[in-house]
Amino acid sequence: MNDSSIMKILDAALSNNADFAELYMEEESSKSVSLLKGKVIKAGTNKGAGIGIRIMQGTNCVYVYSNNFDPESLIHMAREASMALAGTDRAAAADLQKLCKSSPSMISVDPAAIAKSETVEWLRNASEYALGYDPLITQVACGYNFSSKTIRVVNSRGVNKEETKSRIRFSVETVASKGDEKQTGRISPGTLKGYEFINEYPIIDKVRECCDTAIRMANAGYAPSGKMPVIICNGFGGVIFHEACGHALEASSVGIGSSCFAGKLGQQIASSVVSARDNARIEGEWGSYYTDDEGNESSDLQLIENGILKNYLIDELGSRRMNMPVTGCSRREDYCYAPTSRMSNTYIENGSSTPEEIIANTEEGLYCTQMGGGSVDTATGEFNFAVNEAYMIRGGKIAEPVRGATLIGKGPEVLMNIDMVGNDLELAAGVCGASSGGVPVTVGQPTIRVSSILVGGREE
Amino acid sequence: MTIEEAKVILKELIDRSKSFGFDEASAMYSDHESMSVDILNGEVSSYENSRDSGITFRGLKNGQMGTSSTNILDDNTVEYLLAGAMENCEVLNDEDPDFIYCDPDHKELIFTQMSGTYDKNTYERFKELGLQIEKAILAIDPAVKQVDYLSIGCSRGPSMMMNTKGLYAYTDEDGISLYAGARAERDGVVKSGGHYWIGKDIDDFDLSKFIETVEDNLMTKFGAASVRSGSYDVVFRNDAFVSLFKAFFASFSSIIIQRGLSLLKDKVGTKIASEVFTLKELPMYEKALTKIPFDTEGVMTYDKAIVENGIFMTAFYNLKTAYKENRKSTGNGFGGSIGATNIVVTPGDKDFNGLCETVGEGLIITEVSGLHAGVNPISGDFSLLCEGFRIEAGKRGRPVEQITISGNFYEMMQNISELGNDVTNIPGTRGEFFCPSVIVKNMSIAGEEK
Repeated sequence: MNDSSIMKILDAALSNNADFAELYMEEESSKSVSLLKGKVIKAGTNKGAGIGIRIMQGTNCVYVYSNNFDPESLIHMAREASMALAGTDRAAAADLQKLCKSSPSMISVDPAAIAKSETVEWLRNASEYALGYDPLITQVACGYNFSSKTIRVVNSRGVNKEETKSRIRFSVETVASKGDEKQTGRISPGTLKGYEFINEYPIIDKVRECCDTAIRMANAGYAPSGKMPVIICNGFGGVIFHEACGHALEASSVGIGSSCFAGKLGQQIASSVVSARDNARIEGEWGSYYTDDEGNESSDLQLIENGILKNYLIDELGSRRMNMPVTGCSRREDYCYAPTSRMSNTYIENGSSTPEEIIANTEEGLYCTQMGGGSVDTATGEFNFAVNEAYMIRGGKIAEPVRGATLIGKGPEVLMNIDMVGNDLELAAGVCGASSGGVPVTVGQPTIRVSSILVGGREE
Repeated sequence: MTIEEAKVILKELIDRSKSFGFDEASAMYSDHESMSVDILNGEVSSYENSRDSGITFRGLKNGQMGTSSTNILDDNTVEYLLAGAMENCEVLNDEDPDFIYCDPDHKELIFTQMSGTYDKNTYERFKELGLQIEKAILAIDPAVKQVDYLSIGCSRGPSMMMNTKGLYAYTDEDGISLYAGARAERDGVVKSGGHYWIGKDIDDFDLSKFIETVEDNLMTKFGAASVRSGSYDVVFRNDAFVSLFKAFFASFSSIIIQRGLSLLKDKVGTKIASEVFTLKELPMYEKALTKIPFDTEGVMTYDKAIVENGIFMTAFYNLKTAYKENRKSTGNGFGGSIGATNIVVTPGDKDFNGLCETVGEGLIITEVSGLHAGVNPISGDFSLLCEGFRIEAGKRGRPVEQITISGNFYEMMQNISELGNDVTNIPGTRGEFFCPSVIVKNMSIAGEEK
């Protein structure tokens, strides 16, 4: 869309008592394939584009979107939308700055240049390896998705930014069956790197681990229930921090006072061994971006330092509600959603203990090596998350595997109960769902120990 | 784009598909309009309005179905969709063939169910209603601090499909949804709770009934504590039971069963639930907001029991999975996969209080959380954060929080002892889930103490 049309749309959006108007344009293409037991059962191709117009007056927002880029109908839509803001004051749009382009992707080998059949073959080999690994492995599902998305954000303050992100994500899920018992092992890495990520990925080693998890869990007894010390292993274990704390630091809940961490800046909200960051600027990392979805530069934000709350994640609307500067964390799944404050690459920083020391220092407890997802009520801080692979710890040593555990608690309490932090920080890809849709995030942490947490298992 | 302009593109796709190399093909256009108003602190905090449309093309070659889709509707759309689907056909090597279908008796399937009241859904009307709801919630009790989330939205849109076998299908529908979530604080303890409503005519919304439920879902949570770990007889409130049931509902799909990912494999005709449990699919159910006379493969839907008196009667099939078992599709082919329409669990005689009386001593479960992660949909195992109330001497007692309920879906289905008559309707992907509250014996609960 040319600058003159953009200015006309912004002008129409500001026609009725708005103090801010923004246009978000997006183009995305993607290719995906699913395999089952090595056979390609689904293959899809998609291309989409759309535009969202957001208008604000103070903390009131209007958001309209469409996939029709016709300037005349967008001007009409913007003018109609502005009618929802009562009043007659009229702001003027500043001249657009020179277009500034960015990309956090780190691509040596362009995935678009690789034939679908090559990636299919790569996954088929992984699938065959898994099926031949052990008679207990009865099913293997794999898939990949390559996508490329370019966004452009312009607003009435003259912001004019464009960012392109190319993403690769693939997954392998193995099922081990023992009688009626079926358990799964799963890997699903994601990256903003190019096809070299696939070329360098030790898929066979990872699939073997995935099979081992499924087999061990199929043979495992049920986890116990009750309060106990819990060690959560590095990487995707960081979902505990994402759920128990991260969501409640987003301006979407802090800004309206509904978060359990609202009004707590500078206060101790976690045990002093806990420091945590949200860093959107790690090149090539799955949850990274340089320009957020409202055109602000992203940041590397210290959320918690030695247990003290240092920062919230603040978007434009949150900034208006909280009277604090934006932190460049505004995100959305696509143009069908107005943006809001979200996490990027969020992790607990390294501590001083080795994972071995943490285990050896735990007389009895649960050692969670693979976490599932979770959810949180940001008002009460109550969270839950699933454990996909776990072991009992007895006498400071890893003992028998157990399955079917869920960890529940209240964020503020659990953060205070983290009493050991390891030195083996690792990040893992995920997709976080919230009011502005599903966005790619990484969670992460070193191995940590929570001195007491409620484990919901089946054994009394 | 008008529906007539879309029809021209679909026709071109169908006409060109065979010369492009496909054996058969189908194309679907859908158009979606929506509007929503959010209220916060006595003001409209957000107003959204949208219009979005797109085309999905499915091309069949040697039994393999390649798909492509786009919402960029321009001169290149047809070429892009044909080429994309063909590229996909070339990598597919599924052992089971796909189909494009047209029932010779139902070549033209047209079903419109617009309410005729959609024009009432204006910004002003939603704003006025939203402010009224917010005021009423805040008036429930001085402890109610804020209505953190209040949104009223509506949507409508047609979808149209054509295929090379001569099928022409057209449907449209509209609907309204409303959700409010509030926060209350008493002596430093924060509780949240809310309620939702779905309908077609905004005049059907009953404010006082809605507020009554919000009050019950929010204010009764104060004083909640955990319980001792152990085995309890449980009344699942209707909505909580549906949430849990839906987490395992995919096990009834023939795709999942044929892949060996459901324990319902080879279980047709056997008892998979207590004899008091009957679950039917009623696509044209009179109480449903959306009736669904045919699926997106062009197959007519029909009423059927899925579980009858505890016996597993049939899984859900589309054309592809039905062919694999040499049987007919059950009319559940939606979006290239399998989906259900309106699901109705047959109610019992007692009201909710009657169920509590029957249990005597136990727990009411009103909410289960973490369903996207805390369940193993294959084995049926689950362990979930939940909340509710104690049942003491047959009556609802003090609220309960910070407990997990765990068990196995298939064991739980066998342990259903009674169903209530308090049917609720929960919206699904398409259609709704109608279900009463349910008593389940011997559920494992983990709480504070051993």
